[in-house]
Amino acid sequence: MTSPVIDGEWHRLHPATPFLRGGIVVIAIIGYLVVQFRDFFIGIFIGSVAGREPHADPFTRWLLEHSVLALLIVLGVLVAIVGFGWLSWRMHAYRVTDELVEEREGVIWRRHRRGRLDRVQGVDIVRPLFPRLFGAARLEISMAGSDGSIRLSYVASARADELRAGILAAASLRRRAEQAASAEGAAPLAVPGPLHPRDTGGATSRLQDAIVARANEFLAPELREPVDAGSLVTMHPGRLVGAIGLRFGAMMLVVLAGAIVAAFYRPELLFVVIPILIGVYGFAAREVLRSLQYSIALTPDGIRVGYGLLSTTNETLPPGRVHAIELSQPLFWRPFGWWRVRINRASASIRDGGAAQANTTILPVGTIEETLRVVGLILPDWSEPPVFTTSPARARWLRWFSWRLNGFAFDDRAVVLRRGRFWRTLTVVPLARVQSVGVEDGPLTRALRLARVDVHTVVGVVRPRVGALDADDAVGLWRDVESRTLGAMT
Amino acid sequence: MTAVAAAGQEWQRVSPRYVWVDLITVLIPGAIVTGGLTAVPLASRIAWLWLLPAAALVIVVLLLAFTPRRVRAIGYRLREDDLVFRRGIMWHRVIAVPYGRMQLVDVNRGPIARAFGLAELKFVTAAVATGVVIPGLPEADAEALRDQLVALAESRRAAL
Repeated sequence: MTSPVIDGEWHRLHPATPFLRGGIVVIAIIGYLVVQFRDFFIGIFIGSVAGREPHADPFTRWLLEHSVLALLIVLGVLVAIVGFGWLSWRMHAYRVTDELVEEREGVIWRRHRRGRLDRVQGVDIVRPLFPRLFGAARLEISMAGSDGSIRLSYVASARADELRAGILAAASLRRRAEQAASAEGAAPLAVPGPLHPRDTGGATSRLQDAIVARANEFLAPELREPVDAGSLVTMHPGRLVGAIGLRFGAMMLVVLAGAIVAAFYRPELLFVVIPILIGVYGFAAREVLRSLQYSIALTPDGIRVGYGLLSTTNETLPPGRVHAIELSQPLFWRPFGWWRVRINRASASIRDGGAAQANTTILPVGTIEETLRVVGLILPDWSEPPVFTTSPARARWLRWFSWRLNGFAFDDRAVVLRRGRFWRTLTVVPLARVQSVGVEDGPLTRALRLARVDVHTVVGVVRPRVGALDADDAVGLWRDVESRTLGAMT
Repeated sequence: MTAVAAAGQEWQRVSPRYVWVDLITVLIPGAIVTGGLTAVPLASRIAWLWLLPAAALVIVVLLLAFTPRRVRAIGYRLREDDLVFRRGIMWHRVIAVPYGRMQLVDVNRGPIARAFGLAELKFVTAAVATGVVIPGLPEADAEALRDQLVALAESRRAAL
């Protein structure tokens, strides 16, 4: 259980943290000032060349007259910013013990957060582009609950990896915890890359080492962890572009056509169309960028998902923390046999906008073999049940095309719901994770002797439900899910 | 009796006094909306606009008329390992919650329910969709039921 990072001591974050957190803002402010006072700076440095023309702008004139005072003010503000940043860095600390993760921060408003390791739902390492250049990463330890994550931004990249491995090993109640810990010892997690030079002597060599290490980190931000051979799924970027293009294809074409037509007939409409164009294409491009360099693999601590080209994210899901799995196939993916896999998990499901979506997509696009392999990582040896109980023919009125497919099946660990003819989805809910189950009907469905079953799991993108079932089948499904859930809980 | 409505038998009913609570909670907003809509034809002096308050009145009366049946349709049952809850007359809904899945049990008392000595019991699981709220329990019963459920949940606790 003991890992060098789980020492119960308070640690500070990466020293560059205040700069990285506020860095972009500071740079933006400096850039703005430079643009605003370009004339002023030119006047200072090459004033003689331009000639001492009287400035029309009274503010600039005032600045020129009181340049010492202005410089002092700027310096004072800078010192205050740096000082506050340093102070808040001093006050921000975390520690990990065998049972808890704790974080405390704040200069004026103090905050103290602690989470129990046995409630850890996943550990993510996020490396946004800018901090990544400095070898820093954000560690997110998510707990059950909507706002239950502890975010350490930023810690040194290698330390983030160690912390994650340590936390996951301490958190896992399984027997494999010991193995994982010893495996960490065997395979040093820092940066054992192929570029790593053996000899370490002399200051220049050490500097070289540091540079090489940084370059390695930057080029290959993957974890050096023992990976189960054969469980690795990676993705070709071309397929990703194609898949996302097909998913948004129709909408993109419509908007593009609209833009061309508008440009011909009513040029002033371009003011409306171009932002929409940028929005749609920007969204698609972001989807692609975020999912590039995608990989998923099984490690001793759980399922590891990594993605991102410039800003990378590395998530680890401990086993048994997946509450529902959804395989879906948009219409235009059908000819290529591509599928997408999304999951529900108990944490961070209602997080800030776009990030939440990435968090729930565990396979952005994959062939059926890859899809099944990914599902197999979550539920070992899972395969699609051969026989589904489907809707009766009278459900045709409600499920025009899909009534033959719409249905459910059980295997020994999960309930499987199938929906859709054109936009096909298959939802798998592990019975051990079902929270409750409901059956309902309305005036119309009752007249047709149909009913709907809702399997309640934690909130997320996947909503496991199946409607338009024969009422007796639905009640049977409801009863079976309940009794099997009770069986799976013990 | 349809299949869904018959999904479980021997329901425990909520207190008949809860009918009054429900009637009042329908009546107050109903009266306000109807009264407010009356102002529209009065102010505009357009005769057909009287249809608005009339429609509101019909809806309120219908809701009131169905309230006793709606309250009678609420039922719950404590089984060995789970709690089964049902409600609805037009839209039947039957939900089963294993005791081991309960995270919290809340007892809430609204002002109107308190006047009738009633309380409602709310079960919270990790799933928001569960949404099981048993209204109209006599206060003593609600507390006893809560303690019983907490004890049951404790003995069958399962990890999230």
